[in-house]
Amino acid sequence: MKAAVVTNRQPGEISGWRRSLVEAVAITLLSVAVGLVVNAARPRGLPLIASTPYQILVPCPEPGGPVEPVSADDPELFSPRTFLVDARGPAEFQAGHLPGAVNLCYDWLDPVPEAELLALATEIASSGATRVVVYGDGGRPDSGEHLGREISGRGIKNVCFLEGGAPAVLQEAAP
Amino acid sequence: MTGGRLAAWLAVPMRWYLGVLFIEACLHKIAHPGSFALDIATYDILPLVLINITAITMPWAEVAAGGLLLVGHRTRAAGWMITGMMAVFLAALSIALARGMDMSCGCFASQGAVDEDPISRLTVVRDLVWLGLALFVVAFDRGVLGVDGWLRRRSA
Repeated sequence: MKAAVVTNRQPGEISGWRRSLVEAVAITLLSVAVGLVVNAARPRGLPLIASTPYQILVPCPEPGGPVEPVSADDPELFSPRTFLVDARGPAEFQAGHLPGAVNLCYDWLDPVPEAELLALATEIASSGATRVVVYGDGGRPDSGEHLGREISGRGIKNVCFLEGGAPAVLQEAAP
Repeated sequence: MTGGRLAAWLAVPMRWYLGVLFIEACLHKIAHPGSFALDIATYDILPLVLINITAITMPWAEVAAGGLLLVGHRTRAAGWMITGMMAVFLAALSIALARGMDMSCGCFASQGAVDEDPISRLTVVRDLVWLGLALFVVAFDRGVLGVDGWLRRRSA
């Protein structure tokens, strides 16, 4: 006696799936054709092939480690446990800086020498400070924040940058 | 109500949601194909020769799929289209994230709106949810409250 083959599959079920895929391809092709026609009809349609590469502006991944912002009115800013770093140029540093601050110029065009960064990291590590605050020119982007990232990336923890940079804190310090 | 019928009814709001979503997403791209081309170029995946053609044609596939889902016509085919596009978007997003790129996803606006829609792992999760919805529609939609169902009843 032959066993009856029982199936729940509806007649045409497989072909239904296949048909929907074929329809999807057909609709996609139709959409492509519509897009090309509309583009051709536009007064300022895009050329089908760009003649020159696009100028893409994607920020590169930030080098270095994490930094936290700190405001100029932070009560711990002048604490002996805070290590201050001035990221401005030597001339600006000489003109005025926060007491105890160490100067390491952050130049946008010339990377900070690795030896100087490591020397600063060593100095910070041996200072007994629990926090590093870097202040720069307060611009956008801020040199203090970027130098802070460089320092943080050399294994120093709890590195902050001063919001507003030197102008903010020197104004705060002024009578 | 059987499980199949329940799933068919559940598929209705899902396809409406996806339909509105894709139509909304394509409006900016159709209006500003140049900006969308820049968005595609920013991902730095496609060769230059394919960027403009993709920017010109893809939004029309989005509007077709979205419109068909909204009215419930050829819903399974439209669901396949959405599934395919979501797979492509997910691949592009994952590559951009793996490269550490800080950019807008370009899904609903151009790169100028990077602050509004930056790519992140959440964007990937969001797209995975949408991919799941599209697959659900493909698997379970039976034309309820749609043109497909109406045509079927008419021909029966």
